[in-house]
Amino acid sequence: MSKKKTGPLSGWHKYLTKEIGIEFKACLYFYCILFFYSIYRIIGGTWDASILHMAEMIFTTYAMGYLQVYLFSNFDEAEHLGKREIGYSIVCSVIYTAISILGKWFERDALVSGYYFFYMVFCYICAFWVYKVKRDIDTRKLNEDLEAFKERGRKHESCD
Amino acid sequence: MRMKLTINRILEGEDEVILRYREMTNEVERILRALRADEKKLIGRQEKEQVILDPKKVLYLESVDQWTFAYTENGVYRIEYTLAEAEAVFAAEGFFRCSKSMVLNIWKVASLKSMSCNRIDARMENGEHVIISRTYAAEFRRILKGGKLDE
Repeated sequence: MSKKKTGPLSGWHKYLTKEIGIEFKACLYFYCILFFYSIYRIIGGTWDASILHMAEMIFTTYAMGYLQVYLFSNFDEAEHLGKREIGYSIVCSVIYTAISILGKWFERDALVSGYYFFYMVFCYICAFWVYKVKRDIDTRKLNEDLEAFKERGRKHESCD
Repeated sequence: MRMKLTINRILEGEDEVILRYREMTNEVERILRALRADEKKLIGRQEKEQVILDPKKVLYLESVDQWTFAYTENGVYRIEYTLAEAEAVFAAEGFFRCSKSMVLNIWKVASLKSMSCNRIDARMENGEHVIISRTYAAEFRRILKGGKLDE
């Protein structure tokens, strides 16, 4: 019979947790960029997407995930949206816009690149809000579990 | 009923209490309770004063330098246990290792707040906040859901 794994997380598990977080971030922002890209292509009357562009987007979002987690204090998961978090959102959006210009995702159209920059800032604010809502739901669940734990203890004591 | 009391001083071996009884009377039960209760007390020191602490009244333990301190609503006491020892001895009383330098008493947690990076902010009954690090958060969640503390 296999032993149930309990106890604090090992170094490997901690690394894996961080890595999964980065993967998740990469997926989230890739989805956001792909949505903007698809709308841009459809408006332009093009019904197909470049595989090369999508590959660039995936690599970019993955690299940006590392940057956000290891250099920018995981700002989109911060407790409060302050000046620092907004500053990091702008810096990351500038990087995304610069890469989009280099990769010709939007044919180096200045107006579309401008829209794309503001869209990315908006995506970061939305991501911050989504993570906050997720934590609020988790807080509610944690307090319910705490109450249930105390209730079980009280019942156990009264039985003794 | 009068009970015979035998006290032997030994020069070698471990200290031991042997309770011999024919029937589990109220008196025997009372003695047993008293003996067991002593096992679950913490001896705390505050300056030169020595006090016996009820683990149920301890909010959390903290390790500072090489000392371990117990925090209650009434004060801070230095105890002889290390954090690892206290966690092992008082696991059944709700003591849980929440970070490298702290052990908290789950019974004294007033509310919890989910934080970023899988950490949990525990507000204690006296209003103080203790952070459950992400290393221990998964284990804490397991315990809240009915897992055993001393597993």
